[in-house]
Amino acid sequence: MVNGFIRVNELYKSFDQQSVLQNVNFQVNKGEIIGLIGPNGSGKTTFIRILNGVIRSDKGSIAINGLDPIKDGDDIRKMSGIVTESAGLYHQMSGEENLRFFSDLYGVANKNRIVELLVLFDLIEHKDKKVGKYSTGMKKRLALAKALLHKPDILFLDEPTNGLDPDGIKLVLSYLKKYNEETGTTMIICSHVLHQLENVCHSFAFIDKGTIVEQGTLNSLADKYIDTLKVQVETTLKPTGPNYLGYKYTDVGNKKLVFELQSKHEISKLLNEILKTDEVFSITHMNTDLESIYFKVRGIQHD
Amino acid sequence: MISKSIIRKDIIDITRSKTLLITLIIIPIIFSVVFPFVIVGGALIFDLEKVAGSDLNMMLDKFVSVMNPAVASYSVEQQIVYIFINYLLPTFFLLVPIITAMTVAANSFVGEKERRTLESLLLSPISIKGLYLSKIIASIIPPLFVSIISFIICGVIINALGYPLFQALIFPSTNWIVLISCLSPMIILLVVLVNILISSKVKTYQEAQNIAGIIVLPIVALTIGQISGVFLLGIELILIISAVLLIINTIILIKISRFKDRSELFEKQIF
Repeated sequence: MVNGFIRVNELYKSFDQQSVLQNVNFQVNKGEIIGLIGPNGSGKTTFIRILNGVIRSDKGSIAINGLDPIKDGDDIRKMSGIVTESAGLYHQMSGEENLRFFSDLYGVANKNRIVELLVLFDLIEHKDKKVGKYSTGMKKRLALAKALLHKPDILFLDEPTNGLDPDGIKLVLSYLKKYNEETGTTMIICSHVLHQLENVCHSFAFIDKGTIVEQGTLNSLADKYIDTLKVQVETTLKPTGPNYLGYKYTDVGNKKLVFELQSKHEISKLLNEILKTDEVFSITHMNTDLESIYFKVRGIQHD
Repeated sequence: MISKSIIRKDIIDITRSKTLLITLIIIPIIFSVVFPFVIVGGALIFDLEKVAGSDLNMMLDKFVSVMNPAVASYSVEQQIVYIFINYLLPTFFLLVPIITAMTVAANSFVGEKERRTLESLLLSPISIKGLYLSKIIASIIPPLFVSIISFIICGVIINALGYPLFQALIFPSTNWIVLISCLSPMIILLVVLVNILISSKVKTYQEAQNIAGIIVLPIVALTIGQISGVFLLGIELILIISAVLLIINTIILIKISRFKDRSELFEKQIF
């Protein structure tokens, strides 16, 4: 990964004296998939629009592969693919007509690309149907196909799984991950459905009230924010007393005990001891998932 | 610079929109089929000479005195039809390009905004100048096409119904030729340019139509009111008016071709 493919420093934006983004600092490496996470109205969409040069920031600097979104907007837009929340498709045109139109706009020379993407996103049978008659999931898949037409270097995905059924979510997310591995495309995925992003993104940026409050990999964020590691062990062990080997635990039923450890390095020690007398069927980290870390960070910010 | 795909897409869009298509069909039918049909057909059925009365006869004499001397030798009935066809109908006929151009151009940006597709266009690598120019061309083609088709249909009806009355083909006169080749295209361009500017500044089609109605219609009405007189004064004046419109259109086009602020258009339309 090339460091600092996208660099944002001290970015500010307000509309009609209402501040939308303030002091945003953000960095993405080339080939990285980053999850931009925050509640509705936190400024995610405005931030993406500024990166694409369709909105001017009030203050701050942006460099995308060394290019400035306002001065070199068309160059950035040529190498970017974007899925907006509303999909932005022409409902009175068929799926294939939409892709043909956008492939002309982006100067795609390979005419087979449209069929390739229609097949890939399971839309080939519906290619002649008007997009107005597509289901939400089909529209979202077509919007993704549209964004990938010109094989962009950067993909901006604003809520790419909104409206998709579980099969659609799996299809889209696994494709994005595979596409990133094969092509090294940098991706910024905005979402508030955290568990979907956990296995797709390399790192995460939390945005709250117009500011990036934290950015890093899941491991680095866990190390920084999780003081006590909660581990659920499914075991035949039935300890007595409030502690086991000095570790606090809670019996949550169904042969499941939740232990509180100081670090992940203590897991082996705990399991070794249990296995001397009892069986262990499974072990699950309870508070190092994205959702737990996100709420922890938000909690700290709001205190 | 100019995007053929946007032009093609916009025209497909117009042909697939029932409201726009109805306007593009109904307006020409009223002014290029119904009007000539009623007047020229009426002359064949009714005795216009009797219907006219002495006041109209006096007015006819005044009209005829400034026209081609051949017209003076026509019967009263022929004179009424001739004046209607060559001096009054062109005024009404101009409403065909005006109304169709207004409808199509007002929909141009606002239509994209209402369907939430303008964001996709602005996020693509097309320049703002290219976007405006493509939208202008896409808005000019349908009214121009409709006007020419209406002109042909109107001509067929006038000649078919007028032949028994005149024993000659009376359409098109030089007035009509100058109208369809110079004045009508210039008026279409003016209406499109003004409406595209309005369409890019407002947020809803309704708003675009209302503003167009307030700003454009009075100017148009004033112009049209004078044009029937202009047709009487001869083709030189029509050519001069067309030339003036050409200058105004060129100034607006130069102004539009300097547009490059994507964020201004985006913030006005999307927020």
